[in-house]
Amino acid sequence: MLSKILRTAALILMAIPSLAPAAEERLTPEQMRDASFLDTVSIPTPGEFFLAVDKQCQPNWSKVLRPVVPATTSDREIIALQLGILVADGFMAIEAQDGQSVKNSARDILLLAKKLNVSHQILARSQSISDFADVSDWRRLREELDAMQNDIRLCLLEQKDNPLVVLAMAGSWVRQLDMASNLLAAGENPSSTDLLAQPEIAARILSRVENLPENSKKTPLIRQLAEGIRSASTLMSTSPLFLPPTAVQSLASTMSTIAAAAAQADSKK
Amino acid sequence: MTMRMLPLLFFFLALAVAHAQQEGGGLANSSPLDWNSPDKSPRSLALELAAGNAGEGYQIHDGFWSGTLSKGVPMLIEVHLFAGNDYRFSSANLDPYSQLKVSIFDAWGYPAGQEYSGNASCATAGISVIRSGSYFIRLIMTEGDKVDTCMVYSYK
Repeated sequence: MLSKILRTAALILMAIPSLAPAAEERLTPEQMRDASFLDTVSIPTPGEFFLAVDKQCQPNWSKVLRPVVPATTSDREIIALQLGILVADGFMAIEAQDGQSVKNSARDILLLAKKLNVSHQILARSQSISDFADVSDWRRLREELDAMQNDIRLCLLEQKDNPLVVLAMAGSWVRQLDMASNLLAAGENPSSTDLLAQPEIAARILSRVENLPENSKKTPLIRQLAEGIRSASTLMSTSPLFLPPTAVQSLASTMSTIAAAAAQADSKK
Repeated sequence: MTMRMLPLLFFFLALAVAHAQQEGGGLANSSPLDWNSPDKSPRSLALELAAGNAGEGYQIHDGFWSGTLSKGVPMLIEVHLFAGNDYRFSSANLDPYSQLKVSIFDAWGYPAGQEYSGNASCATAGISVIRSGSYFIRLIMTEGDKVDTCMVYSYK
């Protein structure tokens, strides 16, 4: 009896530090407004997003997975967009626990990276992805694919290709919303539409795309991308906590159109 | 005279080549997940701290914040977290006399999640997210002088 009381007391004492934050002060609206927003920390990875979708909806990922084979183009802006889409596809293949699809995505990413002159920096990552896929180490695969995405980003920044970094980021985000909104529009789990409500991220990505140099925005597809993100941003800011069914349908349609157009895009400006 | 200077000239040339090779090595383009990096840095320490969570199934995100923290001047970073996921934010610096604190706040500015004690120059905060949306991570040094600090996060 005494040991039971002592054990309970110890558990209560251990719980006290976890209550500590309640005594802290609240952040002011000014502090929150002035908080830093960093692309590499503030924008979630596709891995985090799909993991949350998986927990809430338990979809049949193998059925959802429909890898895109991007059309050949010499337009670097479109290639960057396609690259972002492929990264998201790779993360989805991890959720589907489909090692071959993960390897295919990594191979296609490498091909596109080559066209952007950043392939030699990710060769080792590509090999690691293949190795981890062979042994079905899904946790390490998420880390490696995430690292590959970041390596591409760093290399593009190094060669002063900032617009391509923005477009790869936008492509990945569009593909994530495309897959998840189609899943939720099909009625998998209507209460999970809070995952799609990302008004701050939509606003940040929209601002980056709108501020691209004029030369990068000449392609009709990039203008279509900006228009699509603007529409998504409006939907999300109208319902910042969760999206109603009509908004989910609209988001699914908009994002699917952009993703399909990116896959079939030619390089006409 | 010129002949006597030659060995000295070769020595400096060899030194310059060795230095250039070192500069062009893995460090110039090192990734946060470069576990083999020999140097201790705030980033490597933060990664070590985060790697401690791997046993619990956490995976490390390959992105980080790094910068200089001054005593009592907080650094606030906005993040978007998803319901259903667990997150841990790990921060570290190289000053053993500093006292680092990581806290999580929700979209309304209220404290959220839990703070885990590390040693003085390392700290972690974690949260099991119930509501998807914006959160704020606050790093603050309560003891110590200006020091370079790094924060990484992991999730499961």
